[in-house]
Amino acid sequence: MRISTQTLYAQSMRSMNQQQADLSHVGQQIASGQRVMRPSDDPQAASRAVQVSQAQAITSQYTDSRVSARNALSMEESVLNSVGDAVTSAKTLMLEAANGTLTDADRASIASQLQGIYQTVIGQANSTDGNGRYLFGGYQDKSAPFVTDASGNVQYVGDTNTRQQQIDASRLMSVDDNGVSVFQSAQGASGFMAVAVKSDGTANAGSVTIKGPEVVDTSDPAYGTPFKIAFAVDASGSATYTIEDTTGAVLQPPQAYTSGQPVTYGGQSLTLTGTPADGDEIKVDQAKNLNPDLFKTFEKALAILKQPVDTPAKQAALQNTLGNAMTEFDNSLDNVLMVRASVGSRLNELDVVDKVASNRQLNYAQTKSDLVDLDYNTAISEYSLRSVGLQAAQKAFVSMKQMNLFDLL
Amino acid sequence: MSIFSIGLSGLNAASAAFNTASNNISNVYTPGYNRQVLDLAELPAAQGVDVQGVQRQFDSYIAQQLNSANSKSSALDTYQTQVSQIDNLLADQDSGLAPLMQKFFSSVSDLASSPSDPAARQGVIGTADTLSAQFRSFDSYLSDMASGLDGQLQDEVTQINNTAKQIAGLNTQIALAKAKQGQAPNSLLDQRDQLVADLSKRVNVRVSQQDSGSYNISFGNGQPLVSGGKQFDLATMPSAADPTRTSIGYRDAAGNLVEMQDSTFSGGTLGGLLTFRDETLNPTRNKLGQLAVSFAEGINAVHSAGVDLNGDAGGDMFAIGQPKVYANSRNTGTATLAVAFDPANASQLTAGDYDVRYDAASGNFKITRIDTGENTTATLDASNQLSFGGVKVTVDDPTKLVDGDRFQVQPTRIAAAGFQNIIGDPAKIAAADTSGGSGNNKNALALENLQTQSLVGGTASFNQAYASLVGDVGNRTNIVQVNLKAQQSLSDQLTDVQQSQSGVNLDEEAANLIRYQQYYQANAKVIQTGSTILDAILGLR
Repeated sequence: MRISTQTLYAQSMRSMNQQQADLSHVGQQIASGQRVMRPSDDPQAASRAVQVSQAQAITSQYTDSRVSARNALSMEESVLNSVGDAVTSAKTLMLEAANGTLTDADRASIASQLQGIYQTVIGQANSTDGNGRYLFGGYQDKSAPFVTDASGNVQYVGDTNTRQQQIDASRLMSVDDNGVSVFQSAQGASGFMAVAVKSDGTANAGSVTIKGPEVVDTSDPAYGTPFKIAFAVDASGSATYTIEDTTGAVLQPPQAYTSGQPVTYGGQSLTLTGTPADGDEIKVDQAKNLNPDLFKTFEKALAILKQPVDTPAKQAALQNTLGNAMTEFDNSLDNVLMVRASVGSRLNELDVVDKVASNRQLNYAQTKSDLVDLDYNTAISEYSLRSVGLQAAQKAFVSMKQMNLFDLL
Repeated sequence: MSIFSIGLSGLNAASAAFNTASNNISNVYTPGYNRQVLDLAELPAAQGVDVQGVQRQFDSYIAQQLNSANSKSSALDTYQTQVSQIDNLLADQDSGLAPLMQKFFSSVSDLASSPSDPAARQGVIGTADTLSAQFRSFDSYLSDMASGLDGQLQDEVTQINNTAKQIAGLNTQIALAKAKQGQAPNSLLDQRDQLVADLSKRVNVRVSQQDSGSYNISFGNGQPLVSGGKQFDLATMPSAADPTRTSIGYRDAAGNLVEMQDSTFSGGTLGGLLTFRDETLNPTRNKLGQLAVSFAEGINAVHSAGVDLNGDAGGDMFAIGQPKVYANSRNTGTATLAVAFDPANASQLTAGDYDVRYDAASGNFKITRIDTGENTTATLDASNQLSFGGVKVTVDDPTKLVDGDRFQVQPTRIAAAGFQNIIGDPAKIAAADTSGGSGNNKNALALENLQTQSLVGGTASFNQAYASLVGDVGNRTNIVQVNLKAQQSLSDQLTDVQQSQSGVNLDEEAANLIRYQQYYQANAKVIQTGSTILDAILGLR
């Protein structure tokens, strides 16, 4: 083919331009360390890299979320520890107070110790985090969840929600527990408790003290149903008792009462000692139905300890109430420990998820690097290859330029 | 005495050959120059040599092929220059939309950790502001490109008109010269062919040569641009279907400006600009808008269902550019349409524009999605509304519709331009569900969950939609680059072929100079010999 002089130059220029463009492209890749500098370099990889970056970012977003979840739970755990300690001390005081040789003054001194513990527990129940947010108010975290009303009783004014956080793609974790579930939900492992109190809520007038109840027959058909023992004393002073259900319907007809004799119903046996007054009642029910509230237990115990014991009725009331309070403190302690265990297991779960997430992060980083990062070995050898190509094109141009008939004429 | 005249004819031919070679050498780098060759013939009865003329080496077939190849390369080159700007915009992974959407959801997650913390609330407002600003800035980059493109269309049209006018003028001159001298000067022909080559780089045209020697130049649809000495003007004009869009108009013989289809112009700079606009620029804006609408509607729906720190119901968090409908300027009916998003069918929202055409016979509307050509038929409901593609169109008065009336609906074109965070008060962020409470984070968790839900077109999460936008632009750019490379090498090859025919080779001309020198000397020798012979005869005594 005939070659025009313009073509000769144009071809050389074209090849030099091409070599230069390729060289500069590899040069840019080496400088940036990226194989995919623009989406057009590898559209699929660029598009997948956007998705992998998102996965990375979400993973670290959940990591942040776990940090704050861990903060909240650790704070709760330490509060629960203190509450547990306080309830244990309260129970020890109950044991002390139950000693029959104590005087009114001794009991008043125990009452003032118990009062201190009571205040501590209220304080713990109204704990705040570093930002002034109340830990145990449910969603109502702006104001103290436990307030003392005009009659000196502690009331819960929070709600029964628990705040949750997304700590992983498919795990929504509760990061707090509300005041009700911690302080007012003593379960007592479904055990039974007997309380000496009349239907109208006033104290019994007689001096019957209670021991038990104890479970004697779980196969009894009436086992597990609440009941009450209602006393009647006639004019001659002989006492009978009737077993009634909670509405007052008779379950077992009146029987003669003898102090110290066990009373059995529904597989439960109670030993009652002392003299009843007409109208006295003893309620037997699951502990959680009678009083699941830790603060009520404190209030009850404090009231009885401050009351001077000058009649057999008051003596019986003291003994019965202290017995009840001990059981209730035990139940509350169990409940606090159970919540603490649940907090602990959530903290463990956070650790596990953290480990999984950090592995995942490594994988994502590797994937993204595979997608868009440069393989320096390939790039550098490519770079030398292109340099050689460019130099060759330049040499060819120079020698072509010299091959001219006019130069030889 | 014929030996002298033979010798003289040879000397004349030799100097004409010198001229031709010198002219070739001096024009070696002149664009559009075609190599010239001296045409010699023997005079009858052995009377010497005759210079018949100077032929230019021009192959109109190759020239046409080359022009058409250049037209395509030039279109692809223009396309590539434009699309690379979007490609470069998306290149920076750290400042794109993806990390900002991510940051927004991170701040929502922080809000879920501490719903009453003013700093966490302020964080959400901050990231919402940044995100919406980035959407707007991305869109304004694209809309700046669109208005820049309109300016370029105007320039191209002016240049095309100028070139066409020059070709028409040369047509007249060439016809005149041909009539007078039987042959037109090579320089005029070269000039005209060069103008046709220039024109081909701006727009794809067809050239046919008339017997008079004139070039007739027409567009793909047959409309003439140059016909003999007459030239027809192009002008830019607003499209009938969408007044915001610049179309190319054709001024016909009667002086009317007629809108031409974009598809008429597939080649040249003009074709490249129009193809880029229809194939990449507008679809990218629409996709960005679709993402913005899905994002805003998704967040707004959840946010409105919540309760803020003051205990009031949450409102919208984001404002968005509303959809547009344009009545075709050629409509004979006077009905006007209004369009709004249809939150109940948000997942049907597409990135397409729609052509809505009224058919009086059936009382139906034919709805065509312009980018895919998908057709549906719909009838007005009781409240004079049509619902399709995530929007609701309302006709003000159906009795004003006339058969064939057309409307163009653009659901998401300007959506991103109006994307804005409208919550400034941190307390107004609805982190709580309807049960309220300062520590209630239920709604914040619901907002956080939107991150991974398929809210864009009902099939993609926000991030996936953005990734697909990046992939689309990358693919488009990549395809154009590959096509350009292939087309460029075809153009280069054809240039080489054209040059091998019409280009000047200096070595060849140097050899010719030597040859013609000898030729001249030989003819001079003929005359000298004739003179010697004559002297011999005259010297006889």
